[in-house]
This record gives sequence, structure tokens and C-alpha cells, in this order.
Amino acid sequence: MNYLLHLLIYFEIYIIVAMSLNLLIGYSGLLQVAHAAYFGVGAYAAALLALKLGASFLPALFGAALAAAILSLLVSLPAWRFRGDYFVMISLAVQVTLYALMYNWVDLTNGPYGLSGIPRPAIFDSTMATQGGVFAFYGVIVIFIAVTLGLLKHSPFGRALQAMRDDELAARSLGLPVRMLKVQSFLIASAMVGVAGGMYGAYVSYIDPTSFTLDESILMLSMVIVGGTGNIRGPIVGAAVLIAIPELLRLLALPDAIAANVRLLAYGLLLILMMHWRPQGLAGKYRFE
Amino acid sequence: MQIIANGLIQGLLFALMGMAFSLVYSTTRTFHIALGAIYALAPYILLACIQAGVGWVIGVVAALCISALVGLICEEVLHWPFVRKGAPPEVHIIGSLGMFLVLIQIIALIWGNDTQVLRAGVDEVYTAAGIRLTRAQLVGGGGAIIVMAGFFLWLRRSDLGLQFRAMADNPVLLSLLGRNVRNLRRMVFMVSAGMAGVVALATAYDVGFDPHGGLQAVLVGIVATIMGGRGSLFGAALAGLLLGILRSQVIWHFSARWEEAATFLILALILFFRPQGLFGRALRLEEKV
Repeated sequence: MNYLLHLLIYFEIYIIVAMSLNLLIGYSGLLQVAHAAYFGVGAYAAALLALKLGASFLPALFGAALAAAILSLLVSLPAWRFRGDYFVMISLAVQVTLYALMYNWVDLTNGPYGLSGIPRPAIFDSTMATQGGVFAFYGVIVIFIAVTLGLLKHSPFGRALQAMRDDELAARSLGLPVRMLKVQSFLIASAMVGVAGGMYGAYVSYIDPTSFTLDESILMLSMVIVGGTGNIRGPIVGAAVLIAIPELLRLLALPDAIAANVRLLAYGLLLILMMHWRPQGLAGKYRFE
Repeated sequence: MQIIANGLIQGLLFALMGMAFSLVYSTTRTFHIALGAIYALAPYILLACIQAGVGWVIGVVAALCISALVGLICEEVLHWPFVRKGAPPEVHIIGSLGMFLVLIQIIALIWGNDTQVLRAGVDEVYTAAGIRLTRAQLVGGGGAIIVMAGFFLWLRRSDLGLQFRAMADNPVLLSLLGRNVRNLRRMVFMVSAGMAGVVALATAYDVGFDPHGGLQAVLVGIVATIMGGRGSLFGAALAGLLLGILRSQVIWHFSARWEEAATFLILALILFFRPQGLFGRALRLEEKV
């Protein structure tokens, strides 16, 4: 039962990750591969605020969102100029650079040793001691973010994003501030994934840079690609599928040494197969054109 | 001097890697990330051949042939079907990323995750004019020069270069003119994979290899391609050379830990001040992908 709750909490965290990534891929049409780095920025910001400044959980989450949002300028400003494969390259560069920072800036992040003893999630003064409590609390945050994104989708802002995705030149000719839209969508998406990072750090209470590598970014990308882009339910389906895969592989009782390899192999195969037969994802709406 | 010489040798290998990536990218507009997996694969084939006792020469030939074969597989199962469906660049990228994951994990499953070496003990050192180079460096640098010179000669002596440019420009028209675009594409993928194989073998002979080094290699190739300017093979080669020299300076003056970050900082600067690359020409708006 505890293990199931543990999986469900991961599921909640990854729902936020996938939904925020979907804002970039599905609504803005920008293929972001640095999402894990922003997840990490959020995790580190929240952990450092809690450990070094003694901030409580919600202010730390706010700090995480802020840090990730500010750093999102690293990708969003280049996105003014570049689309398609060049943009992928930029975000790849940001992923590698931010990872190098987390790994090498030992004074701040404690480098490869990571940060331990991160306080558990708490509202006001009551710490969530049980997993059920964390699950419920995180559920509230997920619902809050999902509702926000749902409202955003049908707002003028959301429609402007989709117009930009479908034809940037036409959107510009209609007077839409394309550059501003890109910056804003990255701000929102990065802040959300930063919150998810903070939630992750508080739940597992230990973070190190290896949780925020390019492989992790690819996993996040797979969630959105497999689940589907351009609507709310797609990323949820994707997060569920990709969290379920390792559990299903566990049933095969593979030796530990190769379990991780087989899992990544499955992700890769899934990506190829999806691109061949269902580029819009299992439950998606938008496909790259 | 010694640092520059080391950087030059490294740069020659980067140059070849840059050319390998650029060859595919400039002619087919495919972001060939799976090239990194081919890079990772080649040394294992050589190692397997040596362990089977067939000797170095056959081993090297076999490694390069199998590299080319895997390159061909990428084209046949991935990129050509996507082209036929008229898929956008994002689909190619995600598919290639999936292929990369699958190949790397297969390598890791067969040969394990550990670092391996092709030779035992200390390499012979040659000294000339105050510069000390190991035999591995000489073989690597010399091999890279021979392959690059040979390829440029081939381009010059045949109308191949012209065909490449034509294919980059308008593959449909080229096939209407009676050229076999399909075979040309196959050749591009195979030659590029062979080049990556050469770089991989030289590097592996020098410093050893593991399944996960491919990503770094392909990133270098991508950066060199973008630095050099899209469509310019020569530019990619020169940019690779420059990158090798700059990176060795970074290692000498700062630390090897910042090598990756420095690479991408250079890329960012280039993209910011000269988005068409060092040797590319600026594109008109309607030419941009």
C-alpha cells in the first residue's frame, strides 16, 4: 500500500512536469529538451532555501518557481530567433550547461555529493509525516496547476500561443507579440516545473545532480510525446504510461544490473514507434507539422 | 606549444566528427543524433574482433563496415519512412533520439556499462621540436587528416559535391532529373557513419571507451556543424578544429570539469553574434526552415 502511494506521489509530480512541458511543446510548438535542468533548478532552489535560510515549504516552492522562471530566459531569449532543430540544439546546450553548474559549483550545490536532509513538505507548521498526507497535499497542488493550465488554454493568451505554433509568420502579421509570447510561455512552464522540482526534493529529502540529466529530460519528453500534445489529458496519460513501464518491467524479474538499461531501451523503442504510427501521442490533439 | 599541439590533434578528430554530422545535416536536413550511438558502437566491434583473434586490420575494417551498416539502418527504418510521410524536423529528431537510446542500451546490455580499453600499458611517446606526442595521438590525427583529405578529394574529383548541394536544395527536383536520391541518401548516411567510426576508434585507442561517450561526441559534432554554418562541410571541419584548440585551452587554464560548459558557451556566442555560422551565408526569411 505504501509502495502504491509512493508511485502515486511520483505520478503527481510527473503530471506537473508533463503538463508544463506540454505548454511548450503542444501549445507553443517549441521542442524543449532542457526540462530536467529546470526541474533540477527548482529542486536545488527549494532545498537551499529550506536548508540554508530555514524557509518553510510553501515559500521555498515559491522561490523554486522564481529561480526556474528567471533562468528560463536562457532558453526563451534564443527562441526569438531559432525554431526547429536549431532551437533543440539551444535547449540541449542549456541542459548540459545547467547540469555542469549543478555538478561543479560545489560551494553552493555540494556538487556530486548532493544535498541531504531536505525538510519534508509542510503547510504552516504541520509537517506531512505520512505518505497519505503528502499525497493529498500534492494532489491539491496538481489540481491547482491543472486548472490554471486549463483556463490558460482557452484564454486569449492560450489561443495566441496556438496561433504562433501553427504559423509564426501569420501570427506576427496579425500583430501578435511573438517574442513576448515565447518568453511568457517559458516563464510559466519553467516556474511550474520548478515547483515540481521543489516538491520532488521535499518528498525524497535528498537530491543530487544525477536526477537532472539529459536522460531525465528525454524521459519527460517521452511522457509528452507518448501521452499526446496539445490538450490536458495527453500529458497525464503519458506520465501514467511512463511511470507504469518500469513497474511492468519489474514483473519480468530482470537482474538489477540490466534493469535500468532495459527501461531506457523501452523508452527509446516507444519514441520510435510513436513517431512512426501516432505522432500526436496516445491521447493528443496536436502533431508537429 | 604542447597544449596547442594536443588541442590540434583533438581538433582534427572533432573536425572529422563535425563533418560526419554536417554531411547528413547539410544534405538531408536530418538531425542525426543516433550518430552518437554509432560512435559508441565502433570500438566494441573492434574489441570483439581482437578478442576473437582476427587481428587489428580486419577488426578496424569490420568496425567501420558495421558502423556504416548501422547508419544505413537508421536511414531505412527511421528517416526514409518519415520523409515519405512528409514528417516535420521534430519527428526526425525525436525518432533519432529514440534510436540513439535503443542502440546505446543494446550496446550496454551486450558489453556492460564499464569503461574498456583497446591497449594495455603506456603508449610510446615521440618527441620532436619540444613537443611530445603519443603514438595514439599521431595515429588519430593522421587518420583524421587522411579521411578528410580523401573525402574532399572525392568531392572535388566527382560531381558528388554538386549532387549533395542539389539534394539539400530540392530533392524532388533532383530525382526528377534522373538522379537516384534514395541511393544518394543511403550513401550519405553510410559515409557519415564510417567517419564517426574512425573518430571513435582513434579516441578509443587513446583514452578507452564506454557506451555513454557517444552523446558527448555527437554534441561536439552538432556544435561544430552549427558553428561552421549550415550546409558548409568545410566550415564544420574548421569549426571542429577550432573547438578542439579552444577546449584544450579551457582545460589548461581552468579545469576539465568546465569543458562541456565552455563548448556551449562558445556556441551561444556564435549563435548570438553570427547565427548563420562562421562560414555560412545568411538566409532569406523564406529559406529558413
